[in-house]
Formats: sequence, C-alpha cells, structure tokens
Amino acid sequence: MTLAAPEPLADVYLPRPARVEEVTPLTDAEIFFRLRAEEPGMVHGLPGQFLEVTVPGIGEAPISISSSVTRRGHGGDDWTWEMVVRRAGNVTAAMHRLAPGDRIGLRGPFGTHFPVDSRETRGRDLLLIAGGLGLVPLRSAIQYVLDRRRDYGRVTILVGTRSPADRLFIGELAEWAEAPGVRVLETVDTASPDWDGHVGVITTLLPRVEVDNARTTAILCGPPIMYKFVLLELHKLGLPDARIWMSLERHMKCAVGKCGHCQINGRYACQDGPVYRYLDIARTPEAIG
Amino acid sequence: MSKPRIGIFDFACCEGCQLQIVNLEEDLLGLLGLVEPVVWREAMAETSDAFDIAIVEGSVVREEDAARLREIREQARVLIALGACATLGGVNKIRNPMDHGEVTRAVYGTHADDPHLAAGPARSVAEVVKVDYRVEGCPIDGSELVRLVQDLLTGRTPRVPHHPVCVECKLRENVCRYELGEVCLGPLTRAGCGARCPSNGFWCFGCRGLVDDANIEAARTVMAQYGKSEADLEDLLRLFNQESEVGHGRHA
Amino acid sequence: MIKHISEPELRAWVDSLLEGPPVYAPQARQGRFAFDRLRRSADLRLDYDVTILPPKKYFLPQQETLVRFTREGGFESAVEAEPFVLFGIHPYDLVAINQLDAIFARAPGDAHYLTRRHAATLVVLDVETVSEHHFAGGLGQATVDGNRDFDAMLTRLPDGSYVAEARTEKGRTLMDGLADAPDAGPESLAAREEVWIRNRKALRKHRLTMAPERIPELLADAHDHPIWEEKGALCYSCGACTLVCPTCYCFDVRDEWNPGLADGERVRTWDGCMFTQFAAVAGGHNFRKSRAARYRHRYFRKGKYVWDMIGEIACVGCGRCIGACTANIANPVEVYNRLQEDTP
Repeated sequence: MTLAAPEPLADVYLPRPARVEEVTPLTDAEIFFRLRAEEPGMVHGLPGQFLEVTVPGIGEAPISISSSVTRRGHGGDDWTWEMVVRRAGNVTAAMHRLAPGDRIGLRGPFGTHFPVDSRETRGRDLLLIAGGLGLVPLRSAIQYVLDRRRDYGRVTILVGTRSPADRLFIGELAEWAEAPGVRVLETVDTASPDWDGHVGVITTLLPRVEVDNARTTAILCGPPIMYKFVLLELHKLGLPDARIWMSLERHMKCAVGKCGHCQINGRYACQDGPVYRYLDIARTPEAIG
Repeated sequence: MSKPRIGIFDFACCEGCQLQIVNLEEDLLGLLGLVEPVVWREAMAETSDAFDIAIVEGSVVREEDAARLREIREQARVLIALGACATLGGVNKIRNPMDHGEVTRAVYGTHADDPHLAAGPARSVAEVVKVDYRVEGCPIDGSELVRLVQDLLTGRTPRVPHHPVCVECKLRENVCRYELGEVCLGPLTRAGCGARCPSNGFWCFGCRGLVDDANIEAARTVMAQYGKSEADLEDLLRLFNQESEVGHGRHA
Repeated sequence: MIKHISEPELRAWVDSLLEGPPVYAPQARQGRFAFDRLRRSADLRLDYDVTILPPKKYFLPQQETLVRFTREGGFESAVEAEPFVLFGIHPYDLVAINQLDAIFARAPGDAHYLTRRHAATLVVLDVETVSEHHFAGGLGQATVDGNRDFDAMLTRLPDGSYVAEARTEKGRTLMDGLADAPDAGPESLAAREEVWIRNRKALRKHRLTMAPERIPELLADAHDHPIWEEKGALCYSCGACTLVCPTCYCFDVRDEWNPGLADGERVRTWDGCMFTQFAAVAGGHNFRKSRAARYRHRYFRKGKYVWDMIGEIACVGCGRCIGACTANIANPVEVYNRLQEDTP
C-alpha cells in the first residue's frame, strides 16, 4: 500500500462554533435544546445519527439528533438541530447549565441512520418502539415519516416511560396520534394517581396492536433491557431479524472510528452504528447487554 | 462569581505537601487568580475562619485533632484530603499494628511519657470525616491540585486515574523495576504521579493508594516468578497501604 | 539507488544527517533500548534488539494537542508537524506503522497522524540482534516483504559493512550524502539476501504452530474458551501490553484548561482496552467489566477485528508485550497455540 499524497486535510476533530438558541426543560432530568451553527458547511443528518457536542473546557459528548431534515426552518435545516439531553456525565451536566446565546462546538453528524428512506420502510407498515430516552432519536424518524406520510403503510408508535413525570414530547405525542393511519400507544412502568393510561412494561402494549408480519418493519430505540424483551415478542409475532432495526448506545468518543471506545467486537458503533439491522448483530457477543 | 475562599489545614505530617503548593510558583499565581486563601499557616500571617473549601493535610493521631477536623468539616462546603497522610494515613500508620508503648519509648526514650507526646493510632482524614476529593501522593503533585480546583470551579467531576502506575511508567519508557530485580507496587497503585519514583531510580512505594480493582491476588502469585515472596510484597504494602476502615487503602 | 558502505562511512553519513531535520533513532537506555532524538552518531545503536516503546510515538505521541479552545467557544485546529527522520526501524515495526497508516487514512482521515506521517522519512534497518521474545518470523514480518511504505533501508552484512537502499524520492534525497559511495554489487546483494533468510528463521523465539491466516478463524470459534478466564485472572489491568504494542492505537481525549480558565487545549493521550473504564459509558454501565472480557477483547482485536478491517493480523511479532507483562500472561503465541490445540 502507499499513502496518498499529502494534501491539506480537514481536521475531523475540530468542532464548529454554534449557539444555543432555545433551552426548555422537559422533565426534572431532561432539557430540550435548539442549536444553531454559526458558519455554513454542516449538514443536518438523518434520524438516528448523532452530533458530538463540545462544551469548551469540559469536553465532548455524543448527542442524538431529535429533529428531522423534513422540517426545514423548524430545527431540520443544515443550520439548526434539536436535541434532548439527560444529565449523565460532565458534558451533559455542563449543557444543563447553558443558556440561550451561549457558544458551544459541534462535530458531525456521525453514524448510521434509521432506514426511513429506503425499501426497508417505503410502502411498508412501521412499528416504531421507544423506551425512555429512546424517544428522542426516534422523534426524528417519526417526524420524517409523518412529513412523508404517503410513502409508508400503517404507522404504529409504542412509547414506554418509567413514570408519568418522565414523559417526553407530550404535546407532540397527541399530534402524532391525529395523523391519518397512525396509532400511538403509551405506557408507564409505574403510574401516579393522576395517570389513567396504560400501566406496564412496553411489551404489554404489543398484544394490543395488529402486526402484519410480512408487511412490517420495526424500529427500536431504548435501553438494552428493553431490546431483550421486545425482541422476544417480535419473534413471537413472526417478525424476521432482517426487518428489525435498533440503535445501540456505546461510549462514542472520537466518532470517526479511531479511538476504540465504542468498539463492539469488530465494529465501531460510531461508524457502523449506532443504528444496526438486528440480523447483522444478532450473533455478535457484547452487542446487547 | 466571587472567588471561593480556601483554608489549608495541617495535622500529623511533614507539611511537605503544602510545600508542593508553594512550589507551584507561576501556576500558584494562576490559581490565586481563581480562589482566595483565607487560612494558610505555612504561607500567610493573617487568617480568617470563613472558608468554602478546606484542604486538609496530615493524619489524625489525637482526639483533640479529630475534634478540630470535625469543626473544619462543618464549616467547609468541600473538603479535600491532601497527600498520603490525609488520604491513607500515610507512613504514620506503620506504627498502628505495633505495641504503642514500645514505639513511643523507642522514639522518645525517657520523654515517652510526656503528656504532649500522647497519641493514639493514626487515622486518615476519611476515617474521621467525610472527604469529598483526594489529592494522592507523598508528596502530592501540585499540578494535580491545580486541576482539581479547575474542575471544581468549572463544574466538572475531578478526574481520578483508574489505571495503575505501570501505565505512566511505560509512557515514559522506563525499564520495568521487576526486570531490575525489584519488587514494585506500580501494578497495584493508582496512577497520576507520572511514575515519578520509577523514573528516578526507585520502585513504586504505593503512596497513592491502591487502584480500583487492584489485583493483589495476582501480585501474590506473580512474586514467585521473580524470586520474591508474598512477605516481600506485604512489607512494601505496609509503608502506605495499611488496612483502612474507609477510603483508598486496603479495607479490613 | 543501492549503495555498499563501510561502518565509518555510515557514521559519517549519519553525522551529516544530524545537520538537517531532527533524527530519531535507537539508543541505549538502562540496559535496554529506546527511540530518541539522536545528537551524535556515536549514540546510534544499530545493534539494538527491540525498543521499549515502538516508534508509533512519533506519529501518535503519548500526548498531543488536537484543538485549542477558548472559554467563549472559539476553536482552532492544532495540526502541525516539522520534517523529521525516523532512523533504524525494524521491519516488523515498519509493518505496524503501515497498518496504522491504513487505519488513520481510512475515511475520515486523521489529519494529526497523517500530517506527521507525511513529514517523516522512514529508514528501515534489518534486525542484527534477535531479542529474547521476537517471533516476527512466524508471522512473515521478520523482513520487509510485499508492498510496504518506507523511504530507505539499511542492512548490516556479516562483514560489518552495510547495504543502503533508497526506495522513494525522499529516500534518495536522504542518501545524497552517499552519492560517491560504490553501488552495491551482486556479492553484497547476495549477502543481504542471506541476512534476510537468516532473520526469517532466527526471529522465532516463540513458535507459532499455525499459519497466521488461521488466527482469525481460530478466534471466531474461541469466544467462550477457558483461556480468557485463566489468563485474565492474573491481569493487573495495567495496559502495559497495549502501550508497548506497535499496532495499538486506541486513545482518550480530554479538555485541559490553562491556569486562568480562559482557554485551554483538547488533548489526546494513549488509552487501551485493558483499562477497567475503557468501555464504560456516561451512565455508568461498563460493557467489559471483567478482566477476562477485557483480556479476550485484546486478542480478538489483534487477531481478528483488525484483520476484518484491513486484512492484516495486528500482531507483527515484536514480542514487546511478552516482556512488558509483569504477570507473564501476554504471550500471543502461547494464546494462539493453545486455541489451535483445543480446536478440532
């Protein structure tokens, strides 16, 4: 092999400056952000992809994009992004201290995306399953699908949350349910006195939906434990592994397939993932759990 | 934001760790731009009792010291244990398993019974009060304290190395002390010192305490491969890693 | 351009190189050897067996600045490199450098690594002294074979003279000072061939019982082999095996403030999969919690994952890990031979 001739290479580690445009707390632990790039040159990215967000002096963290390219002018163009950040580490904690007008850095978007614009989904029924914070990246896919509603068959959205106080995008959930041919079912693990909806883990919603296993593609986004149980149920419904897609969380650091932190066996989740077709990882040890 | 007020206190120790702070020179000036020292016997004449961050050096050997430490803890929003005496009990703990009367007589001879020499077993600061952060080492590396204060001021969890000293030793391209026929605590000791001792002709004495998940069982097995015994390992651990009720030392 | 030169001519040439860009070369250190800045040709140890750290440190330094930042959110790239000469790289280390070249050039390319790499002139040196743990012969990496990327190559012949060959324009420029030396004749070239034949046999201090291409297959079936638990039990998680490995390149990135908290640098440092926290995520979950899981990951990475990525085994037989592991559990030959034995 021979190294390519030297030429000025873009520095993939250089964050681009951006400003915080909107900060809205959604729950006690999660904050909604809209960020705006200060210079051209970035693209918005597709549902399931992520950005590396820098808070100067604190560090960088991978954050899922929650907006859709189909909503230009509403967080979906190449200048603005929406995301929801739960306080987990130093960077997310520092993001919780941000105010509109503050300057941050962005790199990306990185990673694979949900198959929203492919034969995997077009013309097919969609079963979109979100657990907890998984609704954040899935919202991008839901917006995308609803904005191109005619491209898909029936759309079923299942949302599981720990408790009513943890629910995200409550207003939007109601809007989604209004769209033609869209069913939204919600459940909470533990109810509060004012909750009159369904109670139980997310798998308890599955018997309540009709799934035509030949026509359906499932997209899952949630914690590993949810995948374990939802996969069991989807298998019972006869859904093949090739029609199941999911996003895997890993310790993504460089986001360019070099640093090794997110490696799942031979794969770099930041480049080959975070979105995988389940068939491709079903026999990969360490992938789930 | 007003500058956090810092108090620096010392208990049983050589005060060498405070000296490391003074030795920071330029970095100390940078630090002083961010915080305001209000109690610092080693470097200041005037002192005040109102402080936010207490930096405590030394181990606790007398009940009146324990009482004073508890008072400091009550006043401080954040308490930092500074140096091996504070974090582990340090070399002061070597005498803990020995007969106390014998030790005192050996050291002080005919003065052994003087009241001002009365002392109980040495305890780390964490064995007396809650410790928020630690700067390990005998002595500390001043830059680590600078980073800790920077992290506290910027709201970042201070970084504690989770790997052993071997890492920093390899990065500096030292020859392994085991290859030189020595017993070294590098594989068991928390990094952060830049492998100072192995880089200057000594084995690691373990002054920064054990790393998380230190594989002492492996160390016992490995000794024989180098013609050493488990007793050799225990001897070296006795210096800084006496059993401790809490904290980074070996737990009883 | 292939020259035949005496030892004094070689030293004189090296002295002339020292007037140019920095030269990094193997030198003695505490009875062992290390690559370091060469100040005079007398310090050059062309008879070294193996260096403590591999020469990857000149392309991926133990610590480097990636980006400079200000508290207000200004960012500036810190890609920079001055020309330098890396002199006396053993063939197995060259293979490792070329593997890193492929990995860091894979899209999206790493400008920090590649800029340094392009700034370097690489001079390979055939092994003169076999180390206690060399096993490059069994992996086919004892000599430079196949299409490798380097600029010049030196071989010491049994009579103490050297054959010096330029392979690129950079190499020819470096060898300008040897223009008057005689071209290597058929005899010296034949003697060089003999050195290669000898080294392919001699660098086998640990004997691999299989063809290297078999390693990925063996590992594919070995996820649950008891060896990971057995060896992993003695692991200190010190990462010495990864740090001294010429093909390991995992790294950590963190922000460091300057003292006044007005600005700082985003710094990259070496990291490794043997460290307890390597696969831990922000929420606290650790994807490789046990010593055995981490130990296994390293061998899979060396013998399978990189193979899947670039078609080469990420072990070149330098034997550094064997010597660096205090617990003596890091001999890859022992691991792969055991898997071979236990695989029907």
